[in-house]
Amino acid sequence: MIGSLDSAPLGAAVRIARIDWPAMSPDEGRRLREFGLMEGALVTPLHRGSLFSRDPLALAVGRMRVIIRAAQAAVIAVEAVDAAGGAEPKPA
Amino acid sequence: MTGAVPTVALVGNPNAGKSSLFNALTGARQKIGNYPGVTVERKAGHAVFADGRPLALIDLPGSYSLTPASPDEAVTRDVVLGRQAGEARPDALIVVVDAANLDNHLCFALELIALGLPTVVALNMLDLAERDGLVLDPERLAAELGVPVVPTVAVRKRGMAELLAAVEEAMRSQPAGAAAAPAADDIALHRCARTIARAATLSETPVRRWTARVDAVALHPVFGFVILLALMFVMFQAVYAWAGPPADMLEAGVGAMQAWVVANIPETFLRDLVVEGLLAGVGAVVVFLPQILILFLFILLLEASGYMTRAAFLMDGLMAKVGLSGRGFIPLLSSFACAVPGIMATRAIPDAKDRLTTILIAPLMTCSARLPVYALIIAAFIPDRGVGGTGIGLQGLVLFALYLAGIVGALAVAFVLRRTLAKGSAAGFMMEMPRYQMPRWRDVAIGLWQRAWIFLRRAGTIIAITTVILWLLLSFPKAPAGESQVDYSVAGRIAGGLEVVVTPIGFNHDIALALIPAMAAREVAVSAMATANAIDAGDDEEAMAETLGERLQGKWSLATALAFLAWFVFAPQCISTIAITRRETNGWKWPLFMVGYLFLLAYAAAGITYWTAVAFGLG
Repeated sequence: MIGSLDSAPLGAAVRIARIDWPAMSPDEGRRLREFGLMEGALVTPLHRGSLFSRDPLALAVGRMRVIIRAAQAAVIAVEAVDAAGGAEPKPA
Repeated sequence: MTGAVPTVALVGNPNAGKSSLFNALTGARQKIGNYPGVTVERKAGHAVFADGRPLALIDLPGSYSLTPASPDEAVTRDVVLGRQAGEARPDALIVVVDAANLDNHLCFALELIALGLPTVVALNMLDLAERDGLVLDPERLAAELGVPVVPTVAVRKRGMAELLAAVEEAMRSQPAGAAAAPAADDIALHRCARTIARAATLSETPVRRWTARVDAVALHPVFGFVILLALMFVMFQAVYAWAGPPADMLEAGVGAMQAWVVANIPETFLRDLVVEGLLAGVGAVVVFLPQILILFLFILLLEASGYMTRAAFLMDGLMAKVGLSGRGFIPLLSSFACAVPGIMATRAIPDAKDRLTTILIAPLMTCSARLPVYALIIAAFIPDRGVGGTGIGLQGLVLFALYLAGIVGALAVAFVLRRTLAKGSAAGFMMEMPRYQMPRWRDVAIGLWQRAWIFLRRAGTIIAITTVILWLLLSFPKAPAGESQVDYSVAGRIAGGLEVVVTPIGFNHDIALALIPAMAAREVAVSAMATANAIDAGDDEEAMAETLGERLQGKWSLATALAFLAWFVFAPQCISTIAITRRETNGWKWPLFMVGYLFLLAYAAAGITYWTAVAFGLG
């Protein structure tokens, strides 16, 4: 099952399958990687937007919590984490 | 190291606890300045090795890598590479990493270690990592990284002596070598960091639940917003409610000093200068120190607790609607204290147009320098009572409304700018959310002390000088008997000319007189009126005894007072703001634009307020 991070349900960990790097500027891409957002990483969408809009999106990436915009999440393809999991521990 | 005091730079990711570590190492002995040519804040301090030899410490802006995404981060890179003009390359580095976030923080650490300078890694906030169920092996980490690793808990000053000892040892044993080639690309670097982090982790239980539980409420789409608004409201009420007694004491102190000078110094030109110029003028501003400190206290607490980023998250949706990002919320909130650090803080905004717009609207956030003006007028003209028996003070409510007017104005201006002059692609918003933390009184106290000192220094320099100049302009030429000294003086005549322009919006001679020196610093409007009134009162003891507020009450209509408040919501900013805008935007175009549009808005807002008030019979 593949969908974009943008529409992934809150609270469940997903694995990043593919990131459309050319869709964003090199700086944006680098900052995403600095946050640990890259292919293979496990992320959990936590909070989406406020009273005024669906933007932004707060994620748990490993032990870090980061905020990105829906526009960036839209080009990040994610897949469900299979029961076998990876080598990585599941974020709560 | 020969004789000279070695310089050690603290460098690391944002949220690694670098500032706390810097405070723990240097105490309050810090010097805040700027790097020459750029407005990035330079924090320097001193510490001593165990044997008593001194060392200089500099705290570099937090950064994710040596590839900068903002001017702040560029300074960090340039300093550690020895490329920053006017700044010698550090003799050693203390790389600060968050023990609970090694995966990410080790990336930058690896880049820094590869530079080949004597380096020590401070494994910081180890207590929080342990609280989160993480057990680390510092020796293993040191072996993997090839440099000493010292566990530290900066906020409890744990590990400071060991850290300095390790730095001393590293400087002796690791001569600065040529830079090793950094990892080929950031993905490889990240993998390497992750492998090392895994190796150094003995056991791990899932992430912090406490932060998650608080965030469930604090970032709730509706309740989160209610909480944010409530916090802001409490902040502005507190500015009023808590500042009263200390402000009264300061006022009494200034009065006592004036009385002492009058009683002990023979009546001369100099005595008048001191009593009517310096003490009346500077005293009128210093009285507002408690309010400014309360405001800064809230801002520092919000930052230190980790809440500020949540506020940015909540505000991002709203700010995106006017073409800004949640990133802009922090500079704008800082602008409530002062637009100068606020505008400097916009350097964290990567998008150029987003940043420019944030700079241009920063002066619309009600800075603390406007607080003295608001406080004076509100105290004099708005009755001190509750609203409908709710215990919410009317005065506090008016103050809140003034702040709100500035915010709404700023959002409207941003909306227009982003569609006209600062058109560009939608701004991005990427930010790390630190975990919640109990603010440490020590770090907050140091921050407050630094702000208080900056304010008092301003009062002692810019404000003192402008009030003295104004006093001279007000005192000469001497009026012939029977004529008003203020009206006859040079300043009075200039104000007379300006009055023609501002009379339509309800401004009187007092205000016209105060507007010009207020360009130097807004709070000078208060000291200018205090000085003019002191001269006006002359030797009339009864008039001298009246406070400035009482005197204005007798002279101004409510409509004029409200128009004056409305003017200051948009008030053309102080010289320092114009100067910082010029520096941050590299030219005169934008600062001139800013001054122009603010003047127009201020004039229109004051005019509309005045005419409306008069229509309701308040003139």
